Amino acid sequence: MNRKNFITKSGLALGGGLLAPYILPSGRLFAKTGTVKADHVVLVMFAGGVRQQESVLGRYLEDSQGVSGAAGNIMSNLFEGNAPVKKIAYGTSVAGKPNGSEPIPKLLTQSLEKSGLLFPEMRAQSAGHYVGLNTLLTGNPGTNQGLKVRPTYPTIFEYLRKHAGFKATDTWFIGNGIGNSTPLLNSSNHKDYGLSYGGNMFAAPVTFSSYGKEILGNAKTYTKTDLEPMYFMKNFLDQSFALSKDQMTSISNTDEEKTQIKDFIKSVFAKQQAGQLPMPPVTDNGDAINVMYAAEVLREFKPKMLAVNISGVDSCHSNFTGYLQSLHRADHITGWLWQYIQNNIPAMSGNTIFIVAPECGRNLTPNPILDQNDWVAYDHSDANALRVWGLMAGKGVPNIRIGGEAQPVGRLTDIVPTIADIFGVLDDVNNSGLIDPMARSLYQRI
Amino acid sequence: MHSSKLNYYLFAVVALLLASCTKERLIGYDVEQANVIEDKSRKSKQKNDAEFISILYTNLYQTAISPNQLYKTQNVVYSIGDQDVANEMLLSNYFNTSGITIPKDVDMRTNIEDFIIATFKRFYLRYPSEGEKAFFKQYISNNSSVTVEMVYTAFACSEEYQYY
Repeated sequence: MNRKNFITKSGLALGGGLLAPYILPSGRLFAKTGTVKADHVVLVMFAGGVRQQESVLGRYLEDSQGVSGAAGNIMSNLFEGNAPVKKIAYGTSVAGKPNGSEPIPKLLTQSLEKSGLLFPEMRAQSAGHYVGLNTLLTGNPGTNQGLKVRPTYPTIFEYLRKHAGFKATDTWFIGNGIGNSTPLLNSSNHKDYGLSYGGNMFAAPVTFSSYGKEILGNAKTYTKTDLEPMYFMKNFLDQSFALSKDQMTSISNTDEEKTQIKDFIKSVFAKQQAGQLPMPPVTDNGDAINVMYAAEVLREFKPKMLAVNISGVDSCHSNFTGYLQSLHRADHITGWLWQYIQNNIPAMSGNTIFIVAPECGRNLTPNPILDQNDWVAYDHSDANALRVWGLMAGKGVPNIRIGGEAQPVGRLTDIVPTIADIFGVLDDVNNSGLIDPMARSLYQRI
Repeated sequence: MHSSKLNYYLFAVVALLLASCTKERLIGYDVEQANVIEDKSRKSKQKNDAEFISILYTNLYQTAISPNQLYKTQNVVYSIGDQDVANEMLLSNYFNTSGITIPKDVDMRTNIEDFIIATFKRFYLRYPSEGEKAFFKQYISNNSSVTVEMVYTAFACSEEYQYY
């Protein structure tokens, strides 16, 4: 070897040796530069369209139905305020008493408002469900977002996997069904992100339904020794049929992650059978069931980022009483989920930030549909439907209330930069140029 | 007499010359133009969920799936983010039921080459390439723990099986 060759090769080897330790699993060369504020984030997409009046403003029937003296807070786990004392119809039903007359006892010793950061008057960018859910997960107003297609812009799952180097099972979306394109929310189809960075997903009430059990519950438990030859042969076959990135239709986990997910699914069916799944004290609607499965995913995978959506309040289109009951239960199950993390998942307790926000509001003026109590119903299409709130609690979150009815602060597109900020990748997300230019981390709004 | 004999010979020579002179025919042998491509590269359309489930079920049970069962299976598969996980569990569930029609392990080992060809035809609707045949022949021969179920799982979960 001559001198020139020696210098060239040794220089390359030295450079490679110095750089190698800094190449992250995501392929990025440099570690994230922002400060990590917590190791876990749980986002409750408090969806279905929630009016400010019956939620954060605590107006109960006074504004909506014009019942004088019937104001009060029916979301005691999230917000401060006394409960209504008149025409109680939002609780559970007890034999011999009127329907819904028994409020569910408060679970948290201190409301999330009292322990965290409340933005009581934020602005949604759309009055629609799917676009609103997209906004919560992409940080983009999504005005050109169509139904039955994946988000146009990258989701927070993709940002975190690409820029923070999270693995697939670090990021989860728990959808409350397979309707309304919900199962498509775990990843965008953006060319620079997409399924290869997507989060894991269960539309849990379907995956773990009775027919889910019939179709998946009897699956064999393969040992690693069984699986290795299968994957070896499959990988051989796939090598000669390589799919391009745009042909991928599913997110992908490593073989170990796949095994963990399969074992998890089987364990949930076994716990169902044995009646061992932890659940909120009142589990009488689909939202509660979905949150129950979200808790189980948290317990098993301890993900960095989990988003769970609920939508029972959408009954407000035609049944205002049902809406109030769903809102009260949504508060109950959200409080339960926070309590469950604190009490049952030591790895996440004290190290998690909890974020709660609706995807859109509801109208100021009602439609003419009356329910069993002769109460009018509300759709979501006017300016009032763009009024929403946002709540944060957990590790290091200050206890402040920012803004008010007369002074809106914050946008729903802020949620994604806020989560990016928590994980120290805010600059990467902002630099992608793919989120709302007016979006800010909620920490920056303080 | 002498002249008639000479005439006869002249006539014979001319006749022979005429008979032996035929127009030369130019015959050329050429290869017909054909695009040479692999069978698998023709598969460009992805099966949708219903097609995949229906084809897989028919493949394994040799009977069509009922519409109700197809609908339920589609929903459950759609409800899981990682489709590989969903399909592997679905398949494993099928293998755990009675009624599936697959060769016995002993038959596979009796004639591995025939098994490989039959498996490629069954799942991929094509013959294996020589390389594919050699790989599977060697792998199955050298690994006594490999079963028909494992081979079928690898094929059913492979990317080529998602396409037609």
